[in-house]
Amino acid sequence: MEVIIQIALNALVAGSIYALITLGFNLLYSTTRFFDLSYGAIAAVGGYIVYCLYNLLGLNLYAAIVLGILGAGALGFSCEKLIYRQLRARKASSAVLLIASLGVLLVIQSALAILFTSQFHIITRDLSAERVFTIFGGTITEVQAIIFLSAITIMLALGALLKFTRFGKAVQAIADDEEVANVVGINSEKMIGIVYFIGAAIAGAAGIATAFDTGIMPTLGLAILLKGVIAAIVGGIGNVVGGVLGAFVLAAIENTGAWFFSAEWRDVIAFLVLIAFLLLRPRGILPK
Amino acid sequence: MNNTIVWVVVALLAIGGLWWLATSGSGGTPVQTEGPFKIGVIAPLTGDGAIYGEPMRNVLVIAAEELNAMDAATTDDIELVIEDGKCDGTGGASAAQKLVNVDKVQAILGGFCSGETIPSVPIAAAGKVVLFSPSASSPALTGISPYFFRNYPSDSKQGEVLADVANKKGYKTIAFLTEQTDYATGLYNSFKTSFEALGGTVTNEEFPTANTDFRSTITKVKAAAPDAVFISTQTPQAAERILKQMSELGYKPQLFVSDVTMGEPELLMKNKALLEGAIGAEFVPDTANAKLSALMAKYKAKYGKDMPYIGYMSTTYDAAYAIVDGIKAVGYSGEALAAWSRTIANWEGASGATTIGANGDRVSGHKAEIVKDGKATLLTL
Repeated sequence: MEVIIQIALNALVAGSIYALITLGFNLLYSTTRFFDLSYGAIAAVGGYIVYCLYNLLGLNLYAAIVLGILGAGALGFSCEKLIYRQLRARKASSAVLLIASLGVLLVIQSALAILFTSQFHIITRDLSAERVFTIFGGTITEVQAIIFLSAITIMLALGALLKFTRFGKAVQAIADDEEVANVVGINSEKMIGIVYFIGAAIAGAAGIATAFDTGIMPTLGLAILLKGVIAAIVGGIGNVVGGVLGAFVLAAIENTGAWFFSAEWRDVIAFLVLIAFLLLRPRGILPK
Repeated sequence: MNNTIVWVVVALLAIGGLWWLATSGSGGTPVQTEGPFKIGVIAPLTGDGAIYGEPMRNVLVIAAEELNAMDAATTDDIELVIEDGKCDGTGGASAAQKLVNVDKVQAILGGFCSGETIPSVPIAAAGKVVLFSPSASSPALTGISPYFFRNYPSDSKQGEVLADVANKKGYKTIAFLTEQTDYATGLYNSFKTSFEALGGTVTNEEFPTANTDFRSTITKVKAAAPDAVFISTQTPQAAERILKQMSELGYKPQLFVSDVTMGEPELLMKNKALLEGAIGAEFVPDTANAKLSALMAKYKAKYGKDMPYIGYMSTTYDAAYAIVDGIKAVGYSGEALAAWSRTIANWEGASGATTIGANGDRVSGHKAEIVKDGKATLLTL
């Protein structure tokens, strides 16, 4: 019994990080309709900013986290403004954008490796000072609980933003048809810029969570992006709640798999889930 | 007509080559009985490996000067012939070719790297020249040839030493968390072989290097409640991640760690609460050893900097002394030295007591250690 609860909690922790990645990715993908590979690297940047400010420079933790999220958002916004928007203005196809984003991914990864080496870094706090909660025999740390609550909060906030505000309606309109949206007076370039900032900021939060939880390295971006994409496909591309649901389903399957098989099968299981969904339910658990 | 000439030339070359091969071994030339004896050295003198090759050469020069300064009754004079093995296969092979066939040495010290040593072994063996490495640690060299031996323990030795400790501590089941790399799985295999021979059981959870979330694997190990958990990773960072997640899951088993973790003082200090009581095994010479401290002082005086890689340099220094002892005992013949190498037992040097097993490996060497208060200290059972 204790084991089942512990595995469920493990899945909850892993799922929270996948959920954050999925939320941002879903928002960007459904608005711009292009698969942005650099998104994962931007997440890693968020983690590195906090690592640098808090662990290396000794800044206050909360200030570092806020700066990390804003920094990742600003980087995403700049990439959109300086690269992707220019390409879209020239009517570049989504394949060109995909390759451009691969370039951005490589540049960011290399820059991180030059600045911080390719070694793993964990944002360290005093482990003994960290509170550990016991729930029916399973344990979860304070940081993990915070990560879980943040994922849920961001999901609710983003859902509300998209559903109940004028901004949300504009984003929906762009996602449905950008040209028609422009015709009715929506400034789509400005909106996509804002969407990029929000999406990248959420990615930054995911990167920070990863840095606290398991540690970051420059090449981490692509790995966490892939998990986020699988979660998005499982949950339903473009659906805020579906993406989060998909993230937890994926994490639950992975962690149960690690119990029955060995840890080496973890990624195999994740991709089998992806293939199964693509074949049997391509629009996900909760289609948009 | 032209063909005939070509064939005559080929035949002459072949006969000449065969004659040369037949006479180039020790059988063809009379055994040299008086010094100075030529000792070949294969060391990485260029490229990245030069950081090892340079101190190796420096230490051998110190040893040769000391040996040549002693009087003839106690020792023989030696002359070093140093070749660049470049820390790779081709460099090692051409260095060995030159030493064996041109300089006609009977003994070679080196190579430093496993990579330059492995291809040198068949060349030395074909020329009946003994190859004595002070540092190559690949398990692939164990028992490779009667002409090869080393006074640095094989990487696999670690597993044997730790299996013995686990057995003496009364542990019956050990759970491994093994990274999927040659080094880490090699350690697992050697531990498993030894520990199962002692009647214990070993379970293994392998993970790819990219894996960062170990929680459910740790949960699984925790539920199985083994007597101890062995963290076998390629790098200290991977071990650190596992330790952190173990602590978060409230699991504090008896730990075993590999020498990559044990040899990282910063990591031990940073995670001292988690690692308290963890057991590992490393090859560490005792710096209180009089020969080693004298060597370190001499190195600093002669080269103006601290001697790096104390473990490797202590065995390098010993290698020069040991080979001269061998020549004194059985004469300057590769064949005789190869047979003599397997009789080395409790030979006292800067790296402690050396004993060479029948497979050519240093028998002892890895010492069991335990983490106490963030420091690796020798384990006494």
